[in-house]
Order: sequence, then structure tokens, then C-alpha cells
Amino acid sequence: METIHLKKNIEPALTFGQWLKNIYEAVKTTAIGMGITFKYVWGRDVVTIEYPEVREELPANSRSRLYNDAENCISCLQCAVACPVDCIYISAIKRPTDAPKIKTKDGTPIRLDLKQYTIDTALCCYCGLCTTVCPTECLTHTTDYEFASYTLSAMKYDYLAPDIRAWRTRIVK
Amino acid sequence: MHNQIADTLNKAVPGCNARVNEATIGDKSVTVEATHILDVCRTMKNCSNHEFNVLQVITGTDYPDRIELSYILASFTKNLEIILKVNLPRGDKFNLPKINSVTSVWRAADFQERETYDMIGIDFVGHPDFRRILCPYDWDGHPLRRDYIVQEKYLDMVVDPPGKNNTDDQMFGKRLKEELGDPKRVSASWKDDGAGEETEAKDGE
Amino acid sequence: MSAHTNENEDKIVLGDQEILKSDLLTLNMGPQHPATHGVLRVEIKTDSEIVVDAIPHLGYLHRCFEKHAENLDYRGVIPFVDRMDYVAAMSMEWGYALAVERMLGTEVPKRAEYIRVLVAELQRIASHLLFFGTYAIDIGAFTPFLYAFQDREDILRLFEELSGARMLYNYIWIGGVWNDVNDEQLNRIEKFCNRFEDELKKYHSLVGLNKIFINRTANVGVISKDVAYDYGATGPVLRGSGVKWDLRKNRTYGLYDKFEFDVPVGTGEMGTVGDCWDRYHVRVLEMFESIKIIRQALEGIEAGPVMGKVPKIIKVPAGEIYMRTECPRGELGYHLISDGGKTPYRLKVKSSCFTHVSILPAISPGLMIADMVATIGSIDIVLGEVDR
Repeated sequence: METIHLKKNIEPALTFGQWLKNIYEAVKTTAIGMGITFKYVWGRDVVTIEYPEVREELPANSRSRLYNDAENCISCLQCAVACPVDCIYISAIKRPTDAPKIKTKDGTPIRLDLKQYTIDTALCCYCGLCTTVCPTECLTHTTDYEFASYTLSAMKYDYLAPDIRAWRTRIVK
Repeated sequence: MHNQIADTLNKAVPGCNARVNEATIGDKSVTVEATHILDVCRTMKNCSNHEFNVLQVITGTDYPDRIELSYILASFTKNLEIILKVNLPRGDKFNLPKINSVTSVWRAADFQERETYDMIGIDFVGHPDFRRILCPYDWDGHPLRRDYIVQEKYLDMVVDPPGKNNTDDQMFGKRLKEELGDPKRVSASWKDDGAGEETEAKDGE
Repeated sequence: MSAHTNENEDKIVLGDQEILKSDLLTLNMGPQHPATHGVLRVEIKTDSEIVVDAIPHLGYLHRCFEKHAENLDYRGVIPFVDRMDYVAAMSMEWGYALAVERMLGTEVPKRAEYIRVLVAELQRIASHLLFFGTYAIDIGAFTPFLYAFQDREDILRLFEELSGARMLYNYIWIGGVWNDVNDEQLNRIEKFCNRFEDELKKYHSLVGLNKIFINRTANVGVISKDVAYDYGATGPVLRGSGVKWDLRKNRTYGLYDKFEFDVPVGTGEMGTVGDCWDRYHVRVLEMFESIKIIRQALEGIEAGPVMGKVPKIIKVPAGEIYMRTECPRGELGYHLISDGGKTPYRLKVKSSCFTHVSILPAISPGLMIADMVATIGSIDIVLGEVDR
């Protein structure tokens, strides 16, 4: 087996002058670096945000947990079609013709009763494509980011359940 | 430029039958015969007015009647780019279509051909290190073929365990996208302009 | 493998098999390693400390993005495209959006083009800062990592206000960009540029001119020009070997023909042309050039809409296109074949990091194991792009 030689032996032979120069350069460049580091020790403010005592305020259009205002949903199914990972499951039934006419808050008539609206937040990739195609803007992103749960099935949010509907006062302005 | 290259190839490599595929939208390409690919590539690399010294991609597309390999070459010295296409029969699992490897012309073909073998299933004859690259080395099947079905078990592990995947919910999404083929039917039907269409219950889970 | 001692003598007599045994040690720079920047397995065969052969094994992060893309509509591909090179996601989106826009023939408004350039150059600075911080850690210097990440915070906070997320943006859409940028954010970008230019000079003198760093990286992992062309290297790896090739100048796209900037090239200042120090230096100089481009874009930005006219359901006419853009890690190519339907028929991504990993077996023989760490760090790979 042939021996492989180290590729790095390109430097010329070491003289005493070069040896002293190496020491000088090493000390000098390291000293410059240490000077910068010491300036940072005493010359800068602390930038750490001490979570969880201090919580940072996320920008208003942050794409965190989704919220669907079921009272304004017209069941157009656009969000389910636009979702790239197919994590929105919707069930709707046509309202009978003799039922009272209801409208959303911006005037669109609601012709379908929403029977089931579930988003699997574990599958969701938080891309925001569903919120852009919603015509009544009932599906929005909130800024909640602390929603870890113990089981995977608890990550399927049923937006017609009363405990999730109770968020409406906090989120919808 | 494409016509010039096709003429050069037809003169230098007789039998390669180079022809230009015209296109109004997108890029044009030059199709050659699969049996002469090694000579064609050598000519492209060495010819002095084009000098295609860099191989960028080797990729394959699965059509119903054939597999089309694309070799995308570039010249960094003359700032040119060209797509070469080669048609191969589809073959089957035990009889993959064969073509010569071009690793002797550009070393970049090494990884690209391994990926094409892994994903589309083409046998590159003469490749120095012929095995899969992205899938595990003993995987079965070629994922980017249209008739690919994932294997049931891999080394005693079930590949898609029924308890862990979400089949009903995924089927809902697929069915929804196939049924709602026409966009106007969904978006315009609940507005007040009277274009309302009947929509029955769409089942989810 | 039997060695037996003869009771009468005190020598060990080797059996037949032991004489033929090779004395190379196989070491796994395994999928879990702090210096491989992801799940990359490099099988190193060493002769005492010197590497004889390095064989990369890929596929630990393979998600088969190309098969997914055949089932998604053109807008839905963009979140998936982000997830390939997750460190420089804006550049991934821009390349894909350009490929589809060239096939459709849509016109992108001028303000959207300026915003795209601004965002892509800021993303280049953020990605090179990440390279700077993690390369220093690989060599052993732990402090510059947090300095680099503190500067990245300004950029990521701006991206969060623009697009809503800090890492996987889904911001550059087909036909324009999603949200507009307001004047207060433009002022912040300008202040960031002014502050960052001085800081970057400090960082370079802290890490790049340090004698220990130079000894670790000069003359190590030399990629000559012929090897670079033969293996298809692009981006800073090719420029570090002395080749002046930048897609922003040679095959220009977007608004890059309006801006003046240089293309830094490795000159072998501290060692040979094409060594690890050259590749590091090229990336630092590119950050200075990006600041120049950002300043020119801030001066020239015009008012107007940010989204062009795109149909509700995007159907690309039949044909194919190969679109290349200059990403922080090299050239990214999208080969899009369409048959006129709602989903791409075939979308192939040519990733620069994939070709750069193939250079490793060519430059490794003769390095020591510590030099392997420096070499793998200097080609700056992100496994999401290698494996897709």
C-alpha cells in the first residue's frame, strides 16, 4: 500500500527570524481579538430576553396558531383547497329554504350550515395560504405560540367546540 | 445556437440524429440518440466554439411511453447553456433501461447519475460507484416513477403503519381537490348575484 | 486473524491472515456530529491520522420534495420550496417564482422587484453570518457565533414583520411579494447597513486575521480551478478558486443589471488559491458587496403595487424551462416541465450543495482529520438542500 503524504507541507523551512515573526504575529492578532471581546464584555447592554418572566411581543401579522371565527364562515371550502398539506377538514350542509336568512358581518349571506370545522395543527405548516384566500377573513393567524400539548390527538382543533369559541372575545376585534 | 450545435453534432458523431425541439415558451432543447451519448458529450466538451465544461444536472422524466433523460450543460467560459435530451424505453423492475455513463467526461456526473438511478431507475453502464444515493442502499423501487407503490416492509419495519398515518383525513383533501375542479363553481356560488349552485354535504372526518 | 506466541522464543509470529490485513482505520464522521452541519455521514478511511479516502453517505434528510411537487398547485409549492435550504429560504422562493413567471409571461411590478432584491441580499448577509459563526465554532472559537447571531436578529426581526415568520417565509409569490414594506422598515434597514459595516470589519479581524485561524485553514482543502469545473462547483466555492463567475452579473435576472457591485474572488492571500481561507474570505467580502447593493436599492425603490396580475388558478402552458439563480451557497436551478395542468409535471431542483458534497472524495486524501472538519465547514452545506 502506498503511503499518503500530508498535503500541507508547502511552507519553506523555518528560520529563527521567521520563528520570532510567527510568535509576534500570533500574539498581536490574538491580542486584537481579545481587545474586541473585552469591549463587548463591558461596553454592550445585555440583549437576552429572560423568558418566561419576560415575553416578547410578536408582530401583529405573525403566523402562529390559527383561529376560525365560525359565526362568519360561509363554508366556501377555499381554505381546504388551498392548504398544501390538506390539514383542514370541513363538513357543511345546505340550509333549507325556509330557514331564516343570516349574513356574515360584512354582508355575505350564509347558505350552508357549518357542521364540522377541524384543523390539525400538528400537520399545519403555518404557511398562511389559507388565510389569504378566505373571502370573509374569518380564518386568521393569531400570535399565540405556546400551545404544546401532551397527545397528538389534542392537536386537532375543533373550532365549533365551546371552549375554542370562547377565544373569540380575545382575538376578534 | 441550437441549430449550430445540432449541425456540429451531426457532422462529428454520425448516427446521433441530433434534432432541435423548438419552443415558443421556455427553453429549446436538442434531442440525440441514446446509443451515442458518450461521443456526443465528448464533442460538446471539446468543441472549441462552445466548450461546455460544466455538467449541471442529469434528470429524468417519466412519460407514459418512454423515459426522457435531460442533460443540462453549461459553459462557464463562453456563458452558454443547453439542454440535451435522450429518450429511453421504460423497462421494468428487472430490466432497467441502459445507457452509457458520462463520468469519464465530467466527474460531476457521478452523483447526478446515482440520483437518477435511485429516483427514476436507469442503469448507467460504466459508472465507477453504482449504488443508490438518497434512498437506503437496499430500498426497493424507484420513487419518481408514476406507478411507484411504496413497499410494505423495510428490514422488519412497517413503512406506513396504519395506526400512525392519517389516511381518512388525507383522502378527504385529495377527494375535495378532484371534485372541485372548476374554481368559479366554488367561489362565485355564495355571492348574491344569483349564481348559486347546489352543494350537498361534503364529508370530512 | 491469529497470532500465536512460540513458547520457546519471545517474538510474536504473525499468522497468514494478519500479514495481509490492511492497516487503514475506518472512522464514521457520523450522522450525529456537531461539525457536519446537519445529518451527513462521511466515512473516513485513515492511515494513522492522515485521511486516505472520504466517502459521503447522503439521504438522512431525504423528503422527496420532487414527488410532492407533482401533486401541489403552483402556489402551494412555495412553502415546500422554503424547506430545502431553510437558512436562505428567500433565495429558494425567488428562483422558483422566476421559473414560473418566465413561463407564464407575467410582469412583476417595479416595487416588488426592488423588494425582492432587498430581501434576497439581506438573506445573503444572514446566511453568510450563519456560515461565519458556525465555521468559527468548528475551528474552535466560540465567541463570534453569538456576535453573528445577534446581527442576524435584526434581519430576522424585519423578516418577521414583513412575512410573519422568522425562518420559512412564504413571502415571494408568483407575480410579486406578499406584503408591502413601509418607510419605517426601510429606515431600519439603512441603519442596520451603517452599523453592520463597521461591525463586520471587527469580526473579520477577530476571526479571519487571527494567526491560529490562518494556520488551521490556509493551504487546507485546496480546490483547483480544473477540479472545480469538472465537479460542477458554483458560488463561493468556485469563486474561492479564482474564477470570476457570478450569475448576478453573467446571466442577470431581477434588477441586478442596474446595480454596481464587484465580484470577490479568492487570490491565495494567506496560502494557495482555493484553500479554505479563500472561501471564507470570499464570503466575508460578499457581505460587503451585499451592503452596497442594499444601499443602492434603498435609494432607487419606487412606489407602486407589490403584486402583479396572476390568474386565480395558475396553469402554466406546456413546455420546459431551466432557471438558475445565485443563492448564498451556490447556483440553484429549477428545471420545470409542465404539461398545461394545474400542477407541475416534473420539478427538478439542482442544488449546489449536492454537487459540493461530491467534491469531498477528491480533495480529502492527504488531509488530517482536523482538516476534514475545516474543509467540510468551508464548503458550507445545508443538508436540507443536499437531500431535498
